[in-house]
Amino acid sequence: MTVRGIVAIFILVITLGLSVGCGRSSNSEEVVLTLGAYTTPREVYSKVIIPAFQAHWKEKTGQHVRFQESYLGSGAQSRAIVGGFEADIAALSLEADIDRIARAGLITHDWKSRSRGGMVSTSIVVIAVRPGNPLKIQDWADLTRPGLNILTPDPKTSGGAMWNISAVYGAALRGFVAGVPERDHTAARDFLSKVFRNVTIMDKGARESITNFERGVGDVALTYENEVLVGQQSGQTYEYVIPQSTILIENPVALIDKHVDAHGVRPVAEAFLDFLWSKEAQQAYAQFGLRPVDPDVAEEVRDQYPPVMDLWKIEFLGGWERAVPDLFGPDGIYTQISEKRGMSQ
Amino acid sequence: MTARALDPQLQQPISPVLVPRPWGTWGIRFVAISYLAMMIVLPLTAIVKTAFQAGPVAFLHELASPIAWEALKLTLLVSTITCVINTVMGTLTAYVLVRFEFPGRRLLNALVDLPFAIPTLVTGIMLVVLYGPQGIASAWLEGLGIQVIFAKPGIVLALLLVTFPFVIRSVQPGLIEAEKDQEEAAFTLGASKWGTVYRIVLPTLLPAILTGRLLSFARAVGEFGSVIIVAGNIPGITLTAPVYVYGQIESDNQQGASAVSVILMTLSFTLMLTVDWMQQRKEEVRHAG
Repeated sequence: MTVRGIVAIFILVITLGLSVGCGRSSNSEEVVLTLGAYTTPREVYSKVIIPAFQAHWKEKTGQHVRFQESYLGSGAQSRAIVGGFEADIAALSLEADIDRIARAGLITHDWKSRSRGGMVSTSIVVIAVRPGNPLKIQDWADLTRPGLNILTPDPKTSGGAMWNISAVYGAALRGFVAGVPERDHTAARDFLSKVFRNVTIMDKGARESITNFERGVGDVALTYENEVLVGQQSGQTYEYVIPQSTILIENPVALIDKHVDAHGVRPVAEAFLDFLWSKEAQQAYAQFGLRPVDPDVAEEVRDQYPPVMDLWKIEFLGGWERAVPDLFGPDGIYTQISEKRGMSQ
Repeated sequence: MTARALDPQLQQPISPVLVPRPWGTWGIRFVAISYLAMMIVLPLTAIVKTAFQAGPVAFLHELASPIAWEALKLTLLVSTITCVINTVMGTLTAYVLVRFEFPGRRLLNALVDLPFAIPTLVTGIMLVVLYGPQGIASAWLEGLGIQVIFAKPGIVLALLLVTFPFVIRSVQPGLIEAEKDQEEAAFTLGASKWGTVYRIVLPTLLPAILTGRLLSFARAVGEFGSVIIVAGNIPGITLTAPVYVYGQIESDNQQGASAVSVILMTLSFTLMLTVDWMQQRKEEVRHAG
């Protein structure tokens, strides 16, 4: 039995227990929606968006929607759903994790055909620095400074961490790093390698990495804007620098056809998804550190989320289907850099 | 065999009343063996199967990755260091806990098992808080120029903590049983204090020490929860094999994960068999002599 199988059984047992205990959608007064999400937007969903949608749906239909919410790392959540966790809606950190569910045959429609290509919120990769930016970090190029202590999560264990490395490499490739000519793959790769010489700790996930930074470890941390903003909201004093050129992180949401139909909750699930692109929900994302995808709401929060000089998407590196093998595959650029680094020590 | 040879009661013919019915013993055997098969053999077979899913060449290819190889070497290194420190300090601790009287002994003795009750993740965080950059001991360590957390010493420290009870708990019963008289006799017969320990105490304890250190080695080889927190996980430098395995699973390389796991398992298993065999041989030699 594979790990996936074991996870499936585990989840099956839990869901069985839950459904026996609750009598899933046994009366028409109540429907149950299961949300499988990644951990970052936990607060925004459970505190704002879900209660707002419940009120909205109650008013419209008189029905109460009960939510079963599960929050895991994006990759782990995606695998759990493939392994048998019967989520009706998946809200994950990157496209590849939704694609995995689609490949397993659980999503049968074109999930990207929804508004904004199925993306509900965005963020950018930034450089977190100590209060007052004592080391005067301005841009990616400063990360190669000898003796600098950089934190970033491990791209092998955290799908989200792939954003960071793609951002550094891509910015170099786009000619936004001094000394690296535009489109010069060798130079961009050397630059990435120099940055990585300064990476001293790779935690397993974005949250763990920033927690370590909060504990006083490291001089800078490669992270997402929303992580820093959430940290600041909870009283942390560190700051962040937006590089001239960085990658736009897009967070997808998809309805899982097989589960929605099996549970008979399609109408409410569709309504919930649509609700995520409403002004109300978009403002909620903005309130919790994520950049909204709605242009009007984005305009409203322009002060909080300043525009980036050169903002690009993963498509610049050929989309995830090419970026993952090119950078992180067995012969990928990142893999080779870390192999070489390991050898030289 | 030794126990039976020494115990006069066991040498007497067993009374017929005590002979269980044959189906009874077979039933017990069946239960125990199927339990073992279900709990251990089945999952292990699954891991081996995934490792060799795409054939032996693919299996070797997974291991040929320099990062996997460095991770295995590092795990072997830190587990061996842990094992050596445990052997010495564990035996010493057990000896002191059994042979010496001092206030708080009972409490200390009870504390020994505590590492088993703490989630290893917490062990890791505890160490970071203690020895990390903002930790209580960090200024002192920095003065000495030693980096503990996010470096190899941190990994060994975490492993020592999670394997703490093994040697102590294996050695203790033997020490309690071993007659203090023997030590005293040797001592009065003119043996030095260290000579007594070396000639009398250690040989009787050796099998128990071996078992304890083996358990601690096997446990150290597979430790994940605390290591991922304290190690820093830089491939080729501070990335251990179990953390590497986790990374492979997370990046959808089930086979790579299983291949490295198979090596870890084989390592521990071979070691256990070897020690078992050595002990058996020694027993035979003793009986022959």
